[in-house]
Amino acid sequence: MLAFALRRVLVSIPVLLVASFIVFALGAASANPLAPLLEKNPPAPPNVIAAETVRLHLDQPLIPRYFSWLGGLILHGDFGPSVTSTMDIGAELGPRFLVTIRLIALAMVIALVLAIVVGVLTAVKQYSKTDYIATFLGFLFLAMPSFWLAILLKQGGIAVNGAVGYPAIYTIGSASVPPPTGFGANLADILGHMILPTIALALISYASWSRFTRASMLEVLNSDYVRLARSKGLSRRTVMVKHALRTALIPLTTVTALDIASIIGGAVVTEFVFQWKGLGDFFLNAVRSNDTYATSSWLLVSAVVVIAFNLIADLLYGVLDPRIRHA
Amino acid sequence: MRSKRAVAAAGLAAVTALVVAACGGGGGTTASGGGVYGDCKTDPNTCNSVAADQLQQGGQVTIASEKNIDNWNVISSEGNTDWTAYAMKPLMPYVFYTAPDLKSTLNTDVMDSAELTNPTTVTYKIKQAATWDDGTPVSADDFIFNWKTQAPAYCPDCETAGNGGFDQIANVVGSDGGKTVTLTLSKPYTDWQSFFGSAAPLYPAHIAAQQGDLSTPAGLKAGFDYFSKTVPNYTAGPFKVENWQDNVALTLVPNPKWYGATKPKLDRLVVRVITDATQEPIALQNNEVQVLFPQPQVDIVQQLASIPNVSQNQAQGLSWEHYDFNLVNPFLKDKALRQALFTAVNRQDVIAKTVGQFNPDIKPLDNHMFVPEQEGYQDNIASTGQGTGDIEKAKQILTTAGYTGVGTALVAPNGQAVPPLRIKYTTGNAVRQNECELFAGYAKQLGVTVEVSTTDSLGTTLGSGDYDVIVFGWIMSPFPFGGAQQLWLSTSASNYGKYVNPQVDQLINDAASSSDRAAATQQLNQADKIMSDDAYVLPLYQKPTLVATQNTIGNIRNNASLDGPTYNTAEWGIRSGS
Repeated sequence: MLAFALRRVLVSIPVLLVASFIVFALGAASANPLAPLLEKNPPAPPNVIAAETVRLHLDQPLIPRYFSWLGGLILHGDFGPSVTSTMDIGAELGPRFLVTIRLIALAMVIALVLAIVVGVLTAVKQYSKTDYIATFLGFLFLAMPSFWLAILLKQGGIAVNGAVGYPAIYTIGSASVPPPTGFGANLADILGHMILPTIALALISYASWSRFTRASMLEVLNSDYVRLARSKGLSRRTVMVKHALRTALIPLTTVTALDIASIIGGAVVTEFVFQWKGLGDFFLNAVRSNDTYATSSWLLVSAVVVIAFNLIADLLYGVLDPRIRHA
Repeated sequence: MRSKRAVAAAGLAAVTALVVAACGGGGGTTASGGGVYGDCKTDPNTCNSVAADQLQQGGQVTIASEKNIDNWNVISSEGNTDWTAYAMKPLMPYVFYTAPDLKSTLNTDVMDSAELTNPTTVTYKIKQAATWDDGTPVSADDFIFNWKTQAPAYCPDCETAGNGGFDQIANVVGSDGGKTVTLTLSKPYTDWQSFFGSAAPLYPAHIAAQQGDLSTPAGLKAGFDYFSKTVPNYTAGPFKVENWQDNVALTLVPNPKWYGATKPKLDRLVVRVITDATQEPIALQNNEVQVLFPQPQVDIVQQLASIPNVSQNQAQGLSWEHYDFNLVNPFLKDKALRQALFTAVNRQDVIAKTVGQFNPDIKPLDNHMFVPEQEGYQDNIASTGQGTGDIEKAKQILTTAGYTGVGTALVAPNGQAVPPLRIKYTTGNAVRQNECELFAGYAKQLGVTVEVSTTDSLGTTLGSGDYDVIVFGWIMSPFPFGGAQQLWLSTSASNYGKYVNPQVDQLINDAASSSDRAAATQQLNQADKIMSDDAYVLPLYQKPTLVATQNTIGNIRNNASLDGPTYNTAEWGIRSGS
């Protein structure tokens, strides 16, 4: 298993190097970092433009700039200069990564649990009322733009606050400013800020994953080995959990790993709408301010996360299916 | 089958409920300009006034900020952003500020007086009580440090937003224990009130001196950069910084050493970073913020109108929208073609189809130098016929100039067909997209094809001149004379369309260095008439600013100048009994 994991890690390195060049080149080609300065009214003095050109290495061609960036990144953990001279991109990415992970991880757990429960239930009770309602809701959430869903949830949150008579649910940020004092009040405040963005992000993933689980479960439930297990007199619970579900989870693992990229994309929108200051907010700010080093850094971090989750998926295959482990 | 119908009905009900939830209003509404802002049109400086004894002692008010604070030095090119300036206003001392009526007004908390004692000398008298919160007096040292950092001769490496006349200061000296400051100019500067004003406030020299020797360029730069990078640990205003969470919020609390006449009523003032303006009304509705100052848009204005116990007000500001020609285009070098195209533009129609949808008060702007609220404004455009949409007159101009194919396919007097022109706007700006499409429609009636395209980077496009016509906005300073030099001189960095008229240059330069303000105003209007006739830039309208507040909060006003709504935070408070 260790050799298998190591092999997968080694394969990821050239992928990351290629990704790093592509994201850097795309970032550099996408915008002029000096544009915000040039748009200033009054225009920035020429000495300011000249100084920024040098600071942002824009006086160098693309290839040397890339290698200088890559070298700084690998040797010193330096993600390059931001157009905002006071910002250290690396120092900014760390805390924001944690904010995003907090949002994504909880949303994924909720989405997975819901998707597996609903997927299994609707497969077992195929063409029942439950199946139809779950199918309808699944397609509704699939079709709904995440920003619109977020706004609906916010209105729902405000209605709840009106009904309970005090602010239990918040629409902006990850905590109140200043945060309330006392452990209980602080916890309630954090939960009140988490509830809407987590639901918004979870529902988007839940929709596709529940459909996938249902289809996968149906296929397994109709397979010969499950029929054999049943005919041998195994309990329904044993057949479902040990034989059917375990097999049905393998394709869901693949889909979940592959969906990480789109969840990060969904988190960009969710963070923006709910004003969580995570990686999504960082990325949008970088794009808006033509901050090409920051944009490239975000893309690189995203690439690392996607590759890491693919690696985790590969390892999970081994756990779920011993044949892969021993191959 | 029945169950399928039931599911479908339930689904329809669910969708309907969601749509109603999304679109529904909050009930009792406050119309734009009504509520606590009913008298703002006539009394912009005093509307929504609540006497101090009618305000609660304590409480918190949160104002939404559309931008993060990346740099704390508003004099620097990076820190010179609207929201950084608004957030710093409660902390900084300055000489003049711009009131909501757009008039330059002496800051009497800090200053006893500031006068032009002769054409090249300004004398400032600082209040004896004015001190930084560490007890150091606000003094001539602060004036000298801030002058030198903005004068390239003293600090060539200080990355300032602009030099705004500071390079014309010959000397600044202190007397009377530093409480009298005498500023000597190398030549008269009409906009002398802009020096050390709210747009270029005073940073503390004694703290800068801890960073380096202020008699050297390196020391000045060290002090200048310190203020860029450091969250203010100083104040000479009514509030001081309690906490800063990057990208989240700036929390201010009253400055116990505040010497001004009006003591803050609030316990806490929070500037909350909400970078998506469309989320601000929802946050206001949920009482997570109490004051908004977003860019007005149809959706936001309508959303605000549906929130109970919230008032909103729009005011005409110093920013204005305009069409610009690029005179590098050989066809656009011809004044007749430019005049005809601008005459074909119907500004009233442009307004009605864009910003008029959320503000019926917006009218065409008829001057390049002044806005109607400023002394000196006069209509210099109506007489040219530009902006009227008079297609027949436009055609007449072309025919008289020798053009053929007028109204079908325009051919220049030299026999060359006028090629398609490219008009550009910033990607994603729906208002400007409309403005460009309307321009193309007007030009088509003259036989000129105009192709609408976008730019991701307005600054790059302007700088490179990669356009024939472009639409964007200028943010004018409240000081029109220095502002005219920045925008309209042929040598100005803002002269993107390469307009050159030595007579205009002369008039603007003379106006900017005059000791007779009335004569200078006349000179600027003379220059404006020439510019209008030259049909280089067509002003469209003043861009409105929007303030919205919970009705429980008093003394919040729409200051449409660069000072914004935070110009009077010491007066803010929660109405008694709320």
